[in-house]
Amino acid sequence: MTQLLTLIVVLPLLGFLLNGLLGQRLGRGFVSAVGCGLPVLAFLTAIMAVRAVLAADAPLVETAFRWALVGDFAFDVSFYLDRLSAVMVLIVTGVGSLIHVYSTGYMKDDPGYARYFAYLNLFLFFMLLLVLGRSLLVLFVGWEGVGLASYLLIGFWFADPVKAAAGKKAFITNRVGDAGFLLGMFVIYSTLGTLEMDRINAAFMGPELPAVSASLIGLLLFIGATGKSAQIPLHVWLPDAMAGPTPVSALIHAATMVTAGVYLVARLSGVYLHAPEASAVVAAIGVLTAFFAATIAVVQTDIKKVLAYSTISQLGFMFLALGVGAYGVAVFHLYTHAFFKACLFLGAGSVIHAMGGEQDIRRMGGLAKKIPWTFGTFAIATAAIAGLPPLAGFFSKDEILWFAFASEAGGQTWLWALASLTALLTAFYMFRLLWLTFFGKPRMDEHTAAHVHESPLSMTGVLVALAVLSAVGGFFSIPHFLEEQLPLPAVDERLHHLEHTLVIIAVAIGLAGLAGAAWLYSGDGSRPARIGARLAPLHRLLSGKYYVDELYEAVIGRPLTWVSDRIFLRIGDRAVIDGTLHGLTGLARQAAGVLGRVQTGNLHLYAWLVLAGIFALLLWSWRHV
Amino acid sequence: MQQALLWFFVLASLAGGLLMLVLRHPMRVALALISTMVSLAAIYAILGVHVIAVFQVLIYVGAVMVFMVYAIMLLDVRDPSFTHRYSGYLLPGLAGAAVLVVAFVRGLAGSTPAVMGAGVGTTFDVQPFSVAFLNDYWLYFELTSVLLLAAVVAAIAILKARRRGNG
Amino acid sequence: MDNTQLLLALSTALFAIGLAGVVIRRNLLVMLMCMELMLNGVVLSLVTLSQQAASTTGAVLVFLVFVVAAAEIAIAVPIVLLLARRKRTLDMDAFTDLKG
Repeated sequence: MTQLLTLIVVLPLLGFLLNGLLGQRLGRGFVSAVGCGLPVLAFLTAIMAVRAVLAADAPLVETAFRWALVGDFAFDVSFYLDRLSAVMVLIVTGVGSLIHVYSTGYMKDDPGYARYFAYLNLFLFFMLLLVLGRSLLVLFVGWEGVGLASYLLIGFWFADPVKAAAGKKAFITNRVGDAGFLLGMFVIYSTLGTLEMDRINAAFMGPELPAVSASLIGLLLFIGATGKSAQIPLHVWLPDAMAGPTPVSALIHAATMVTAGVYLVARLSGVYLHAPEASAVVAAIGVLTAFFAATIAVVQTDIKKVLAYSTISQLGFMFLALGVGAYGVAVFHLYTHAFFKACLFLGAGSVIHAMGGEQDIRRMGGLAKKIPWTFGTFAIATAAIAGLPPLAGFFSKDEILWFAFASEAGGQTWLWALASLTALLTAFYMFRLLWLTFFGKPRMDEHTAAHVHESPLSMTGVLVALAVLSAVGGFFSIPHFLEEQLPLPAVDERLHHLEHTLVIIAVAIGLAGLAGAAWLYSGDGSRPARIGARLAPLHRLLSGKYYVDELYEAVIGRPLTWVSDRIFLRIGDRAVIDGTLHGLTGLARQAAGVLGRVQTGNLHLYAWLVLAGIFALLLWSWRHV
Repeated sequence: MQQALLWFFVLASLAGGLLMLVLRHPMRVALALISTMVSLAAIYAILGVHVIAVFQVLIYVGAVMVFMVYAIMLLDVRDPSFTHRYSGYLLPGLAGAAVLVVAFVRGLAGSTPAVMGAGVGTTFDVQPFSVAFLNDYWLYFELTSVLLLAAVVAAIAILKARRRGNG
Repeated sequence: MDNTQLLLALSTALFAIGLAGVVIRRNLLVMLMCMELMLNGVVLSLVTLSQQAASTTGAVLVFLVFVVAAAEIAIAVPIVLLLARRKRTLDMDAFTDLKG
């Protein structure tokens, strides 16, 4: 009983080892049982652990082993379960288990079945390490580990060079963020002498503030968070990450891993409370990311890309909440988002499954009747993300908007306005997606249309479960649950009377998005085309995703290639290193040519040399002995 | 008397060695070597170590040199090495050897006479030798048999290799 | 010069003569026999000194050297036969295959 947390973490690792080492030999039944069974066990264990925490009303701390002893400082691998990590652990293991079950249906015919589940379990292991780690160091191991698992799973079909490249892009982009994270850790360690997060928070909560700029730490760690959580300017990897299998997109690139940045900031809320500048940056980046990603999502035609940009946008909302001090609300949105975005992604997976691999929504349409379960769950999740009451997304998004407007810790009208506009766009593009996919006339070819079929129970069952959670999840108030640990910011009293107005506006926005999409896409498709033609430059800009990739390529990629090629390759590698080596080999060869002449093969000469050697030895021994 | 004999055999062995450098035919060289070895055996006998003298005759003259003579007779090859005895290193070789001998002998002459134990001229027979061998050095005795076995196996292996090379 | 010194001088002389023979003689078998002469020179010094010390250990060592010499010649002679078969000569100057 005393090692519950360790058990939670180790179970998926066991799954990884079993599936990775034995999976290919023991068959699919074994792989499925291990791959799904151990996460479920981890989930059940997590429930027990959380009950223990709630019963004791104190965090559960557990030291697995001592990692390193450096001078007087011991690095322990210890786990820490309080209410915040409890929420995260339940999301990770719960949603994770559901997605594992879903994967047994989705990946049924894939030759890499065992490898897939091994990676998925590996991901879960690192994610739990990240969530449960008490020290930033353990968190960082998990942080890098989920990056690795993400890389492996994005490039799961590595035979396709585009997908392999997407994996590399994700990995490299994350490295940029990790550099910031590491610097933040260095600053923390050198000033506070500890990396354990509860101690860091306590240091900032104490009567004497540490002699270090909280904003510096906050900003450095936030750079790490932008990498992992795909915020501007490091958001470019997430849309490409959709190259992986769809359940992976749901688990890693929507529900869990990408929220690690949010978790990190919420976990270190003590630092950010004392870093108003850093918080302002977080809020601004969050809302800008939300807005830009939403505008891009409006014109995307790939079902998964729409959802990917939507994810970036929703993560932006979470950072907005973090930036205005409403940490509990951010976690609340994280929690509801995990449900409805997982549901959307898995629904999209079900659609792709039904369409035989097609992902372009321009070639879908009219699927509602053919795959009713998928449609129903997808619609509920869409309504949830659009913020229609009483679904989960409504509660969390509404609170974010409210705090963005009224929080005393950085609430601004423009934040609220831009966030509301983003909410409108969100509702619009999500219903556009729903419409283009499920309503209207079928636009696919005959052959595909004949093969459209509902997914197996393992997939639809999970969809239903997630849809129910998306619908009712909002009634469990996470901010209230986390109140004592992450108190909500004070609200400007003068604005209090506007709260109900804002709720009404938010609902109206959701409905407006719905109506706009319905009006635009319900006809024969000529309306969106006309608007697109009239706003051609804007459309091009959005379709090109603001040309961020091209900008990075021009500003960073090409100079780097140039420097690598001209300076490091031609001068450094070929001229200096190769030149030195070739010079040395030439020298050795010439010397060998000279010395080789001594090897005449003539035994008499050798014997004579022995003679001379003995004589020399004699001389030497007389002189020295 | 003994001293005169000693001198005689020293000179005889030295002469045999020098003859080896000069004689043309390998068989004659072999005979010169045998005479040197027999002289050495005589010196050992004069010193009183009869066991070694016997071994010298039995093993060296009886086995090794007989084997060598067989080889010489087997390889009745007529080639330039019979008419031209010396390699291109005749002068350097002789010069080197001379220098070496001078260096050794000068070193010896410069040293004080070696009187190591009271037992100068101690003689012993087969019995103490055998007792020492089988009591104290039995392991080495057995190891020599292993070495000889290895030599036999190696010789057979070489002969096999020759057959393969020819076939 | 006492007997010990005389015999040691003989031993070095035999060794040097053998070595000179290896250097100057062209015939393979003669070279082999010169090596035996070198060995004999060494054995002589061993015997002389062990007899000086009146120990049976030296005698045992000499015996072992004899055995090694016998083993050596048992392998060396077949190798010479093999070489002679291959080149049809015993002239050492013909064997320069290991020229660097």
